[in-house]
Amino acid sequence: MRKLIEEKDPMEVVGCARGHSCEELIHNLPRHCKFYPALIQHINKIPEVILRNSGTPIAKKVNRMMREISKESYRAMQFTRTEINNRGVLFGIVSLKHKVMDRVLNYFHKRWPECIICLYNEHTHKTSTIDEKGIIHKIDSPLKTVVEKASKNRPLIPYFDDIQFSGKEIFETLYSSQFISERENQKYFKKMIPEKCYELPGMRSGIEKRFRNKKINDYF
Amino acid sequence: MPSTLEKIRVLGENSKYDICASTASSRTDKYPKLFGDTNSWIGNTASAGICHSYTPDGRCMSLFKTLYTNKCIYNCKYCFTHSCKRKMSFTPEEYARTFMKLYSMNVVEGVFISSAVCGSADKTTEEMLEAIRLLRFKYNFQGYVHFKCLPGVSQYLLKEAISLSDRISINTEASSKDYLAEIADQKDFNNDIITRQRWLKQIRLKHNDEALKVMKDFKQDNTLEYQGKMIKERREDGYKKFRWDGAPILNSGQTTQFVVGAAESESDYDLLKRIDWGYREIDLRRAYFSSFIPIEGTPLAGKQAASLAREHRLYQTDWLLRIYHYKLKDLEEIFNEEGNLPKGDPKMHLASEYFKDRNLVDPNQASYRELLLVPGIGPISAKRIINLRAKKFVFKRRQDLKSVGVVLKRAEPYLLINGHNQTTLNKYFDIISDNVSQREIV
Ligand code: SF4
Repeated sequence: MRKLIEEKDPMEVVGCARGHSCEELIHNLPRHCKFYPALIQHINKIPEVILRNSGTPIAKKVNRMMREISKESYRAMQFTRTEINNRGVLFGIVSLKHKVMDRVLNYFHKRWPECIICLYNEHTHKTSTIDEKGIIHKIDSPLKTVVEKASKNRPLIPYFDDIQFSGKEIFETLYSSQFISERENQKYFKKMIPEKCYELPGMRSGIEKRFRNKKINDYF
Repeated sequence: MPSTLEKIRVLGENSKYDICASTASSRTDKYPKLFGDTNSWIGNTASAGICHSYTPDGRCMSLFKTLYTNKCIYNCKYCFTHSCKRKMSFTPEEYARTFMKLYSMNVVEGVFISSAVCGSADKTTEEMLEAIRLLRFKYNFQGYVHFKCLPGVSQYLLKEAISLSDRISINTEASSKDYLAEIADQKDFNNDIITRQRWLKQIRLKHNDEALKVMKDFKQDNTLEYQGKMIKERREDGYKKFRWDGAPILNSGQTTQFVVGAAESESDYDLLKRIDWGYREIDLRRAYFSSFIPIEGTPLAGKQAASLAREHRLYQTDWLLRIYHYKLKDLEEIFNEEGNLPKGDPKMHLASEYFKDRNLVDPNQASYRELLLVPGIGPISAKRIINLRAKKFVFKRRQDLKSVGVVLKRAEPYLLINGHNQTTLNKYFDIISDNVSQREIV
């Protein structure tokens, strides 16, 4: 590596067009569950062009780590299934190995700015919340207790009261109705929802799994 | 009276051939929101584009997509109306409530509201609009709404629909008057569809010009007082005035959809010509293609289904028009005598035609347009190459090109790298023959 740094004109490592900047790496790598502080010191010594070149071993490593981080948060945004109570408290369960809870909470906060969001992380057995002001708290209690506490002094909101019915069947019916059997493409389907997504809390009993494991006729 | 679940089952199934994607949302926080920037709103289009599920055909399912009603005064030959015996409609409240429930479960990103024409286009549109109004102003939903306009709808309703939605579409279904008459003889191609598409463009442009002026004033007097005054003024006239005049409308533009293969002898060229016209004349954002699938009980039940590969090739060629900004006449040489696209990737065909009697491309000298002609080089990698050249970088190795995102497997036969062509064209003819990875389209 040192040889590469000394001998090459940085512009010749053409990877400068892709990858992540040093700041992005320094900011985000600590989120990874296998992060160690020496990695940052190491990164600081290496020119950015090398970090961006997908061919160098260090770039391969940090890019993989960055990918794992962003994939986990993206999957959580996609497949976390939530509920809302009539006091405007939105809650659900996630399973996050890396430290991306803030990203996921902020995603929900942007959608429900006047609500309190509570997410229980199965991995750490902790519940995190984000309030209307965007302030995040980490609480050592189970989800149910946190939701009850958060709902306590909040007024009943009529338009949330309106939607206090079970939506599971509604989604399952909608999902089944959209399937065009003539276009069935299991390979593509499996690519879009890979096996490990079915291990996420929101997907474990999801309808997608039934369509994946059975032929459509079996299902009906 | 059918239950809500039954309505979702039937009306969802009736809408399954409509194509949409919330990835088209206007992902910007740059402008004030369409309905004012307050915390009491729910939903967000700036970060939309997340797919919360995928159907077994691999298509993403991110919108609440059902018809509003399946009672129709038309009888298009390819349509379910002939065979669907169970006729039903949502009520606006039921529609809005069901969507909000799904949104609170994080299983959808927005709404795609479409409908059959019950009574008249205006009457049905009124009801659809009422559902969207409820969403916007009762449930405070600020997220993504795709509104499907019905053929022949009045201009004042179009205006209302535009101001409430992020994207609007009118299904063109066929590329010309004659082809439409073949499959849906009650619809007037020019009046019911093309005129409405032109209106959409005009209304949007007019509003956005005025919005720009409002924004200018706002920037000059960007005080809370001014903001408060604007909001108060809007409140006095009910919800209609609550909307920010300064926010551009219809950020995701207008789109359209075609039924591919329903009209006899309608060629790919006909369809692409219509789309090319759309990009030039009505600010079409994009077109969707839905391969014709015969439905039992319809007049076209005996007709053969259109191939999905054809649909895929149309998407690929549309990509060349829309993203690469090719002109349709640049592509003319790849169509066969019937005006259809040959099997395989249109860009590969285009390149093999183009480079038949021309020199290969030297990435150190070629223009942006020449680079774009090489398969495996898209607009982004072409721009990267040009940028690096501007910084005096010389591409000498395959690896140099790979690291800016060039797909070498495709590009190599057409490139001169360090003065050498790495392989022969013949070796790659099998790539041209057919390597369509079907369906990975929308
Ligand atoms: S307008 Fe035509 S395509 Fe649309 S629902 Fe009615 S019959 Fe079907």
